[in-house]
Amino acid sequence: MADATDYTTDDLMCTCISRQVQDGEVLAQGIATPLVAAGYLLAKHTHAPYVTFASAIGNVICQKTAPLGLTRVEELWLGQALCFLGFAQVVCDLLPTMTPKEFFRPAQVDPFGNFNNVAIGDYYHPRLRLPGCGGIADVTGFSPVVYLYVPSHSRAVFVEKLDFVSGLGVPTADRPGRRPGPRLLISDLGVFDYACGRMRLRSYHRGVTVEKIRQKTGFALEVDPDAHETPPPTVEEIRLLREVIDPLGIRELERMSGAQRRPRMRELVRQEKSREYREGWK
Amino acid sequence: MNKVLSLDQAVSRVRSGCTLGLGGMTLYRRPVAFVRALLRTDVTDLTLLALTCGYESDLLVGAGRVRRLRTCYFGLEGFGLAPMFTQRATAGEVEIVEETEASLAFGLRARLAGVGFMPSLAWLGTDLPKVRPDVKLVTDPYSGREYTAFPALHVDVAAIHALEADRLGNARLIGNLGLDQELAAVADQVIVTAERVVEELSGPLELPGFPVTGVVEVPHGARPTSCYPDYGLDGDELLNYIDACSAGEFDAYLGQLLSSP
Repeated sequence: MADATDYTTDDLMCTCISRQVQDGEVLAQGIATPLVAAGYLLAKHTHAPYVTFASAIGNVICQKTAPLGLTRVEELWLGQALCFLGFAQVVCDLLPTMTPKEFFRPAQVDPFGNFNNVAIGDYYHPRLRLPGCGGIADVTGFSPVVYLYVPSHSRAVFVEKLDFVSGLGVPTADRPGRRPGPRLLISDLGVFDYACGRMRLRSYHRGVTVEKIRQKTGFALEVDPDAHETPPPTVEEIRLLREVIDPLGIRELERMSGAQRRPRMRELVRQEKSREYREGWK
Repeated sequence: MNKVLSLDQAVSRVRSGCTLGLGGMTLYRRPVAFVRALLRTDVTDLTLLALTCGYESDLLVGAGRVRRLRTCYFGLEGFGLAPMFTQRATAGEVEIVEETEASLAFGLRARLAGVGFMPSLAWLGTDLPKVRPDVKLVTDPYSGREYTAFPALHVDVAAIHALEADRLGNARLIGNLGLDQELAAVADQVIVTAERVVEELSGPLELPGFPVTGVVEVPHGARPTSCYPDYGLDGDELLNYIDACSAGEFDAYLGQLLSSP
């Protein structure tokens, strides 16, 4: 299949996520993570037709797919459910032993892949209180298949020292254990691993230099001697993303600033209400 | 037996200072009409407990009715941060009992099992125990391993919105079950609001009526959150809310919301 030349950073991130999916495995999807949902669906439509989705939205297990939605996102999951679960059942009975693959989005991440989704600044006097860590502190201590993704790579996200540790990276003297830590981190600038015990650049995206990644990372960056440009999406992957998986472009919301997002969301709400669109994907 | 109440009768079960559990999750099947009716009373000083908190909880926090929060996520999902929670929590105006999915789920299960705690692999190695000194470790008597011992949770009143209910409180929830079944089983008072209340529902259902203490018919009772499959999210209203809060006009938004029928 021919490589695409016309693709966005969002498309490339979805493709990188898709390529981490193996056929037959169980994939967990958190809330408000459309880049991950699009990446999973891309895998399902290409090399991994037999994956199973465990979605937080709906609390369901699904094997079928529907396009991404904003106000109609439940239809993607509830409308296709194989079975309905209670959240306590998922948390207590399934996650500790089933350990689905999951991509988490840190608000802050340190060189070891520890991460923070609780508060920026001192916990008791924060500069910004974040929504909370969901189930991240529950599973990252033992899951063998933790992945991270960062839609906007910056020194505010990649910090030497975290304000709060709610997600665990590779074992260190401070935070020992037998977990492997995050397998990869995918950002809008490149793909990184933790194979040497610290974050290490594996590939840089088209048009991004190693120097730029160093500038945008708030700690010393390791670079794999074999670091190379991230392989581009194929023409078919781009077609699937744009025509089948996410025709509205909901995956683009994660990289937008607040000022860009709100007018775009108004427009998405309007498009989803339009009859033509709804009939188009029924 | 007939558990049907008016919405005002139902919210009168909530007393100032009590622990209120809210059903549904994020922006799905939230008891918004119940919260609106509660905001018309002078009940305050609440401990709010929910798997996730969204629009309905942001109204309560914005109105200054919440003293303490117990949730693992407070936000508006794809729509962004919950504006009043973010503002008040950043300013230290609301007490947060840091929770995760596991502390809430195992805590409710401990109560249901009639024991003081449930052991779990969660939190070990993270900073969560530092901000929750009340959560202790327990040693597995068989392997000697240490686990987190999540304490049993208590809920005074649970409010759950359902697609359908009958006069005995049996209810159809469909998806996004969240912690609804556990909340209903542990709470002293369980109020089910429903799009429609019928004489008698037939199963299988997600929520048997025996723990339910009050049933209220409230069409569109989850709006602007969704009630699948009857209606989806009202994205425009969520954006209106965010815009109003960004402009510093939460009070005006709330005033208008409470004055409309």
